[in-house]
Amino acid sequence: MPPAIETTDLVKEYGDLRALQELSLTVEEGEFFGLLGPNGAGKTTFINTLVGLVRKTAGEAAVFGYDVETEYQQARDAIGLAPQEFNVDRFFPIREVLIHKAGYHGIPEAEAADRADEVLKRVGIYDKRNERFDWLSGGMKRRLLLARALVTDPDLLILDEPTAGVDVQLRHDLWELVTELNEEGTTVLLTTHYIEEAERLCDRVGIMNEGRKVTVATPEELKTRGTDTISVRLETPLSSSATADLETGLGAYARELSSNGNRLEVRVDDGGSTAPQLLSDLETAGYEIADLEISRTSLEEIFVDLTRSEDRTVTRSSASSGEDGSATSSTRGEDERERGRSRDEADRNTEREREGVA
Amino acid sequence: MLSVGFRSLFRREVLRFIRRPKNTFMPPAITNVLYFAVFGIILGGRIDEPVAGIGYILFLVPGLVVLGTISNAFENASFSIFHGRWNEYIHETLTSPLSYAEMVIAYVGASAVRGLIVGVIIAVIGRIFVPITVEHGLFLVATMIVIATLFSGLGIIGGLVARDFDDLTVMNQFILRPLVFFGAVFYSLTMLDPVWQYVSLFNPMVYMVDSVRYGLLGHSDLLEIAPAAYAEIAPLLSLAVLTALTAIVLTIDVYLFKIGYGLTD
Repeated sequence: MPPAIETTDLVKEYGDLRALQELSLTVEEGEFFGLLGPNGAGKTTFINTLVGLVRKTAGEAAVFGYDVETEYQQARDAIGLAPQEFNVDRFFPIREVLIHKAGYHGIPEAEAADRADEVLKRVGIYDKRNERFDWLSGGMKRRLLLARALVTDPDLLILDEPTAGVDVQLRHDLWELVTELNEEGTTVLLTTHYIEEAERLCDRVGIMNEGRKVTVATPEELKTRGTDTISVRLETPLSSSATADLETGLGAYARELSSNGNRLEVRVDDGGSTAPQLLSDLETAGYEIADLEISRTSLEEIFVDLTRSEDRTVTRSSASSGEDGSATSSTRGEDERERGRSRDEADRNTEREREGVA
Repeated sequence: MLSVGFRSLFRREVLRFIRRPKNTFMPPAITNVLYFAVFGIILGGRIDEPVAGIGYILFLVPGLVVLGTISNAFENASFSIFHGRWNEYIHETLTSPLSYAEMVIAYVGASAVRGLIVGVIIAVIGRIFVPITVEHGLFLVATMIVIATLFSGLGIIGGLVARDFDDLTVMNQFILRPLVFFGAVFYSLTMLDPVWQYVSLFNPMVYMVDSVRYGLLGHSDLLEIAPAAYAEIAPLLSLAVLTALTAIVLTIDVYLFKIGYGLTD
């Protein structure tokens, strides 16, 4: 069976800007794959290349073995997309929007109507089935995007930041639903800014930055790539000369060492396996240990490290202070969403103004 | 056999204008009542001599039918594509497994249907003002289908190249409408000086209006002013050329969808 997604040296250029740079990525059938990266990393460009909204400049891209350009009909038939933007037909009640979408995928009208009802119930907005999209709340709009992606019963479900700007309850509902779908056999590709989301849901995570693949690994593997901090409280305070001596003595495994009074902090690759050695070395050096604590690197910190570049100002402390993800990325994301909302509103106003044009 | 996908998109497109009659059918109906009342009865009543041997109000009917048909076909296609692009819901179609030809034919077909419905509405309004006997029914139907399809196809191009709503207005009001008005809707080519007759032959609308007038009333200005070699076949030649032009425009539409012009990044 071919992979759900397979790209080889995929390139997308917008004039001088290279949005995707020789991106090679494989997502296996049945996998729950997370795509992480800061704004502008190329995640949405990558997705849009798969569904036909962006034409690649070079390279290969296939969905379940079907080339996305030469065999576009088969490729697109396999995909259900819930995009970031609210790109929903405004002329019809949402139930009809879903019936139309299912129809485009070759599902006869009666069956399409049944499916529309089913997915509306599944995402919890069946009561709103006769409303038009513009009159739904933000959370309901997100639910509808998911329903539209599901109404064609896709083998590959692509979710482009599905929980951006939604409340905690809805986020958990969506997580539960997509987990269920994945367990039923649907391959899921999820892009998100929320590290917790990727860590909680994904079998594997791909990290992108500036159009390139930085790494692909399981969340657990990624965590092992970071450094841990072993914090030791000693019975007696450390002098600066003693700290310098320790730095030399522990140099074999300590990446960084600092002290403050009787508190010693040592940064190591793997806190769990290094702690006994550190204790032994400290005791040998004549120190009595009162307490020890290991802080493990979060996936979020690793993500920030991996995607840090010269022109970024993201720091660990600022990233850690963010509620939902890397602070800088989240802030940028909010800005973009805000701009999106403003544009959406402007569009709607224009649409009303232009009703006479139709 | 038409695919379910094609039928779904065609149905969606037709429902969009059927459910909004206040925006789609009422305006041309009211406008044409005014045309017939003002130009046909009030002004036309003062024109003593028949135009090309036909009473003026009857002479007006084919031109107004063409004007309404092509304006609405063009407007529907261009609006549907552009509005879908503007609000990005055309992505629903573009990310579906429909072939590019199916997408184009569904959009064009639905727009042509709107144009034809408006054409029939105008003819019915005209019938209220003056008795009409169709002279060449088959030719009339074929011509109407071809010109409605042609302008739907052009509307697709308009919807793809437009950058804002003003562009659509410019296309319809400043290009299409003047060409139709100078396409012998309100006058006969035989009333013009030979120089203006010759100039008029470069206006494609002349052939459409003339063909519909020939189909509806049995009169063709082109038959009277054309060179002898074409005198016998002028309406058929017009239809053949318009059909070929329609095929070319549809091919361009499919090509534009294929390369994603105005649709994809």
